[in-house]
Amino acid sequence: MTDRLSRIPRSIMAALLLPAAALALAATQKAPPPPWWSPGEGRTFPAQIDYRNDSGTLRSLLVGGPLPTKGHPFFEPIGSNGRACVTCHQPADGMSLSAATAAERWDVTKGKDPLFAAIDGSNCPILPQGDRASHSLLIERGLFRIQRPWPVKEWQGKPVTPDFTIDVVRDPNGCNSAPGYGPAAGNISIYRRPRPVSNFKYLLAVGFAYDPKQGIALPRDPDGHGQSSGNLMADNRAANLRLQMEDAAASHLQLIGKLTPKQEAAINDFEMRLYTAQQASALGGALDSAGASGGPAKLRDSEPGALGSIGTPVWSEYAAWEKIPPEEAAKLTSEQLAFRKSVARGARVFRDKTFLITDSSGINSPAGFGNPVRNSCVFCHNMSQMGNDVAPGQVDLGTTTLPFADPWADLPLFRITCLKAPHPFYGRTFFTYDPGFALSTGRCADVGKITLQSLRGLAARAPYFSNGLAKNLRGIVDYYERRYNIGYTEQEKQDLVNLMSVL
Amino acid sequence: MKKLSFLLALAAPLSAQAAETGDLLRFVACPVYRDADSGKKSGCWLADDVAVGIRYDVSLSPYKPDWNRAVLVEGRLSGAAETACGAKVMDPVRASVLPEACQRHMLPAEGYPGRKFVLPKRNVDPASIVRKAPEGPFAERTFVLFFEFDRSFVVYQYSDYLLDKAVTWLAAAKPKKVVVTGFAASDPETVSGHSIAERAEVARERAELVTESIHRMLPDLVIETRSETGAKPADLPDADGIPGQSQRRVEIRALF
Repeated sequence: MTDRLSRIPRSIMAALLLPAAALALAATQKAPPPPWWSPGEGRTFPAQIDYRNDSGTLRSLLVGGPLPTKGHPFFEPIGSNGRACVTCHQPADGMSLSAATAAERWDVTKGKDPLFAAIDGSNCPILPQGDRASHSLLIERGLFRIQRPWPVKEWQGKPVTPDFTIDVVRDPNGCNSAPGYGPAAGNISIYRRPRPVSNFKYLLAVGFAYDPKQGIALPRDPDGHGQSSGNLMADNRAANLRLQMEDAAASHLQLIGKLTPKQEAAINDFEMRLYTAQQASALGGALDSAGASGGPAKLRDSEPGALGSIGTPVWSEYAAWEKIPPEEAAKLTSEQLAFRKSVARGARVFRDKTFLITDSSGINSPAGFGNPVRNSCVFCHNMSQMGNDVAPGQVDLGTTTLPFADPWADLPLFRITCLKAPHPFYGRTFFTYDPGFALSTGRCADVGKITLQSLRGLAARAPYFSNGLAKNLRGIVDYYERRYNIGYTEQEKQDLVNLMSVL
Repeated sequence: MKKLSFLLALAAPLSAQAAETGDLLRFVACPVYRDADSGKKSGCWLADDVAVGIRYDVSLSPYKPDWNRAVLVEGRLSGAAETACGAKVMDPVRASVLPEACQRHMLPAEGYPGRKFVLPKRNVDPASIVRKAPEGPFAERTFVLFFEFDRSFVVYQYSDYLLDKAVTWLAAAKPKKVVVTGFAASDPETVSGHSIAERAEVARERAELVTESIHRMLPDLVIETRSETGAKPADLPDADGIPGQSQRRVEIRALF
């Protein structure tokens, strides 16, 4: 725990000690649990577990009570490389993995942790695995190598012939051009952040039966559980949790053979019981006080899949902080009061500050909204309580595709050539670091689309976006500002950062 | 790529007369976006019929323009005041995105407020709302949904609503078989000097996508898929009196 606490600035530490709510929170944590969960260590996952981070305290709730993890397939190294699911989905990191944690593990273990397995914890298995530089993408940006088959041959149970070609323009790590690697060898390597394994009730929820971005009814869950939400993975390649865990076990854990139905049921049971969100703010105190309803309990207790625009507004959890009664305000420091008001303003900015969304596939085409369309963050981050997309959330914000993506010398760059209709906004030929959803569908129009992220527990799992382009919460706001020329004031930017720090 | 402006200029003498309220208009134009701001989805879409030198407000189309591309505008002059966007209002109206490139252009609001977004009357209920099951007796019936020019995309808050109505009825009626027929307006026409025709294959694409949607919602239903080219206009209520829209359709016919 000391290593994690040492990352917290002194001023924030002081603020942490001030509020009564934070003191009460601390009192419930007799002995802070160690932040890193190693595979197979056999601790019990408690019904409630808190971890401090730079912004405050993250809380996870396990509905139904504590879980002994001894022998549990999420926590045991069931594959051949010594990893467990928990290796890359750490409770202290919002069930994802921050780049800071990866760097810490490298330093603590001198690179011996199974986290750095050559298969995907290094920039490429062909590189010298003992060198820190060979793992730079994981250590510096929290990126894992994802190898997808190419060309894709099947999508949603139907054969696919891609309508675009992929040429490797630049391959700094070798995994798209060395023998056995790259499109010429039948695969493509891209680099992505691990997505949080929590709050799945929301990610699996089906709000509407039709996908407005694809113009078709949602596909049926292959295991017969109604329709698939389409919100599970960055490229939506898994229609349900079973397929996601089988994909992860084979690729990230290097499991020989397959998960058993019993193992899948156990992982599913754990993941569906878990809710995670920031519980306390270092600057604002308890997030479920003074009428606010931040924290994971609200997530646990709410119905998933509701559209905020016709029901509970997104981030109205902090509406009560818009007007804090004098008697409540008197209990707060001036800094706490200012922070809470900022969070409430941030929620308003998130919902109400409109801007012109332009040239973004999945939004401006083909749904018929027009290009441009005036809207706000909640146009896409529209699910009450959670902020993911009620519809399947594959949109192209430009985070992985030129000219909008930032230049990255250490990522492979691909030239995309559309063979039939040109891409609606990029044209016939363009460049991308990650074709995203198109690696699943084989459609040129889907290049660059990435499934929207969950917005809960953000403070615990920097950096952000699928390729980690935003180093911190301010980086997210800055990206949107330069991508869409929004015109946020400095105050609005800080309000949004403060909001995101308490989700 | 053909020069759209050249083609538009050629067409100018063909339709150079002022329209009156209720008149059917059909022209190809490069759209102009007016950055009016009355909140979400409130901006204005304008399109000039260069044959008569009149600017129209086409914002009420269920599928809206892309400022990078030409649009096929179809609809009727409404007679409504021009106060929202500063142009003659077309309603009902459709604005189909065409492949031809246009110079993107945005006007400032210039005092025009645009229109505050109102949920369209054709919008799908959330899945959490239980649909009222239609009551029998059930007999042969045909449902129709409509498409943008040369596209097979089921239009959000228009055709998805019509599809949902059909699926809800089919789920209750349990017909012996459903025949899904896609149509394409594949006969070439000249509009604003521009020869346009839907691809013949879009008829099949429409039918297959609608079939797939119905199959996903009602997997046990027996569905036959057909396609027809050379579609003619039909008097269909949800085409809103726009002949071109009625041609670009899929029919879902339930047989008992």
